Amino acid sequence: MLEIAGISKRFGALAALDDISLSVADGEIHCLLGENGAGKSTLCNVIFGVIRPDAGTMQLAGQAFNPSRPADSLRAGVGMVHQHFSVIETLTVLENMMLGHAGTRLPRVATARRIREISEEYDLSVESDRLVGTMSVGERQRVEIVKCLMLAPKLLVLDEPTAVLPPAEVDSLLAVCRKVTQRGCAVILVTHKLAEIREVADRVTVLRGGRAVTTARLAEADLGALVRAMVGRDVAALGTTTGAAHGVETAAEAAGMTRTGAAPTPIVAAEDALTLDAVSYVDEAGRRRLDEITIVIRRGEIVGLAGVEGNGQSELGAILAGLALPSAGRVFVDGKEITGRPPAVITAAGVGVVPEDRHAVGCIEALSVAENVCLSALGAFSRFGMLRRRQMAARAVDLMRSFDVRAAGPDAPMRSLSGGNQQKVVLARELSRDDLVFLLAAQPTRGLDVGAVAAVYDRIRTARAIGTGVLLISSELDELLSVADRILVIYRGRIIGERKADPAAREAIGALMSGHVPVAP
Amino acid sequence: MMTAADIGTFSGATLRLAMPLALAATGEMVSERAGVLNMSLDGMMLTAAFAGALGSWATGQPLIGLACGLLAALVLALWQAAMSVTLRANQLVVGIGFNILALGATTFLYREIFGAASRDLIPGFARWPVPSLAELPVLGPALFQQTALGYAGLALIALTWLVLAQTGFGLSVRAVGEDPRGAEKAGIDVRRIRYYGVLYAGAMAGLAGCFLSIADIDTFTEGMTNGAGYLALAAVIFGGWKGWRTFLACLLFGSATALQFLLPDLGVNVPVAALLLLPYLLALFAVAGLVGRIRPPSALTLPYVPGR
Repeated sequence: MLEIAGISKRFGALAALDDISLSVADGEIHCLLGENGAGKSTLCNVIFGVIRPDAGTMQLAGQAFNPSRPADSLRAGVGMVHQHFSVIETLTVLENMMLGHAGTRLPRVATARRIREISEEYDLSVESDRLVGTMSVGERQRVEIVKCLMLAPKLLVLDEPTAVLPPAEVDSLLAVCRKVTQRGCAVILVTHKLAEIREVADRVTVLRGGRAVTTARLAEADLGALVRAMVGRDVAALGTTTGAAHGVETAAEAAGMTRTGAAPTPIVAAEDALTLDAVSYVDEAGRRRLDEITIVIRRGEIVGLAGVEGNGQSELGAILAGLALPSAGRVFVDGKEITGRPPAVITAAGVGVVPEDRHAVGCIEALSVAENVCLSALGAFSRFGMLRRRQMAARAVDLMRSFDVRAAGPDAPMRSLSGGNQQKVVLARELSRDDLVFLLAAQPTRGLDVGAVAAVYDRIRTARAIGTGVLLISSELDELLSVADRILVIYRGRIIGERKADPAAREAIGALMSGHVPVAP
Repeated sequence: MMTAADIGTFSGATLRLAMPLALAATGEMVSERAGVLNMSLDGMMLTAAFAGALGSWATGQPLIGLACGLLAALVLALWQAAMSVTLRANQLVVGIGFNILALGATTFLYREIFGAASRDLIPGFARWPVPSLAELPVLGPALFQQTALGYAGLALIALTWLVLAQTGFGLSVRAVGEDPRGAEKAGIDVRRIRYYGVLYAGAMAGLAGCFLSIADIDTFTEGMTNGAGYLALAAVIFGGWKGWRTFLACLLFGSATALQFLLPDLGVNVPVAALLLLPYLLALFAVAGLVGRIRPPSALTLPYVPGR
């Protein structure tokens, strides 16, 4: 169906794709496996015409295929479900489906009929008249898939479709993939989780650093070898965070690795770092995003908050950082109430925040590393209102050394640092404070490479060791299992369960994340 | 006492004063729904008013004047689109620049070209009463004695609502202003749609400008828009980026201006200057009161970088 030969693409100095060749057969499910930054999404975008390659050729169903815009790909019979959905929130499902229609009158009736046919044929329930903005992530993804299937594609590209789904919905997604291929359509499925696609994939191509490292028939492949090919190192040597992230760890391994973290030796035992008392949050549109959240985090413990993205984690993070006002409930840090106080007061109370979106909130990219590090304590670094540059630089150099930040120097603009190093600067700034009582770390490892992930978690464990209470928000359950002491599960704005961070609880937590609350015995 | 004649005069003046606002605001609403803010709306209107007056004065044909006005506004709109869509310049800054340029250029050219002839009456569109309807008591003369441009404008406004709600192009416009990346992935050419949006705003602002100079008072004066373009921008916000609400907002601003004709007749003694201030004050309160309660198109003023 699709033949790719020698595709290369550079972004500046970075070779995002380096001479990639692969072929996808009719009716095949072909997996692209690789870590963050391996080039999976870039390759998909090339196939879909979002990005034009610098070199190489493609053939679709025997004909030369070089799309310069998504419209070209759609016409040629390529449908794509993007990692970030492309359905438009303010339109209804029906309007989204008619998008790009060129005629003068919109074919409402015919389109609605076609949606019904497709959703029956593939067993994908979709309501035509609902606004996409009111739908859950899983529902939106179904809309995306139906939208692609409306065009009866020859090739369907799914970019990390399982990353946003709770475990139960992953299975039904994979069932849809199988149905699609039974009709002769080929599917390219992108993932970094080998375990999930084990059952459906025919062949796997592993990408690493922009190169296609190996292609194998999944039935004959050695999974360990695939993971080694993906990571480029031996998994066992990397620790659980990596192995777990790829879904290939054994329970024994994971349990062993959990204990390698610094043991909690809190200075102030059994003292509450953070107390959330029935906190609720209703957003501008009147939707209840948080529903009476009650959490107590003691000093010297790491509490993981697990959940599929979009279940209220962002709102909770914003409230703790002082960027949103809770509609009801109270927040205490170290016994002092900070409900609804501005960020400056919350910081002074001993709260450190590693925000979810480090680009927008965590740091100021236009300022230097030193300026970013000292930003929250400018008073200490100025005399008579003038900044003391030398002290600031010394402080930054000091932190850069102890947090292993790789940058040209303290005066390098934050923008010039890689994502991992930016995150380390943010962590350094927050964790280096003497008065830290509570640390909020929201998705602190998102987009980071393996080495940086390990470093970030080491730092968080160190904070626990000196008596800081930590709330770690993540949608990566395996990471939480290896770092946190106990795990709370958030679903639709409510805490629906708590488990010890034990690999044996993995299934139970996964079920909770998808909203299945076990019936009490 | 308010008489029937007062009501007739008042509603006639309201419609006449609201017309240029409604034309410009309707065009601007389309552009903003596609994600481009034309701060230069006032400049486009002023330029069109001048070019329309010039063309009509030089040829004696108001229709040729209209063509000149439209063309001038479209040239400005194309320039604006190139700056804000292709070159991705800051839309506010570009728009304000255009306004200053338009005021300076029209004032200079007016003095150079018309000079001593500035007292000349400029040939304008003739009133065209609708048979029988125009003879209706009270509202008949007020509403059905428009110029051809007036009727055409009303029809265009209604047509715009229809296009936006019911056609593939309208859906594309709405999608592009909300989520350009999503729209692009659905196969829509985001930049082309935005060009069309800005050009449409330009054409409608051109009509609005010509309405001022050759279909209403049949003369050109320096800075004659008096900020009508800004009022139109406020009407789009006040109307919540919806067609008919924007039109109602324009009628409201028009009626506030028309009060200056009604109140003295009723014997209410208010300084004229205060009445002239009223629509602007109203716009300020309307916009300030609505901030946070009405959601603009998500991608408004945000330039789009294709790919990635």
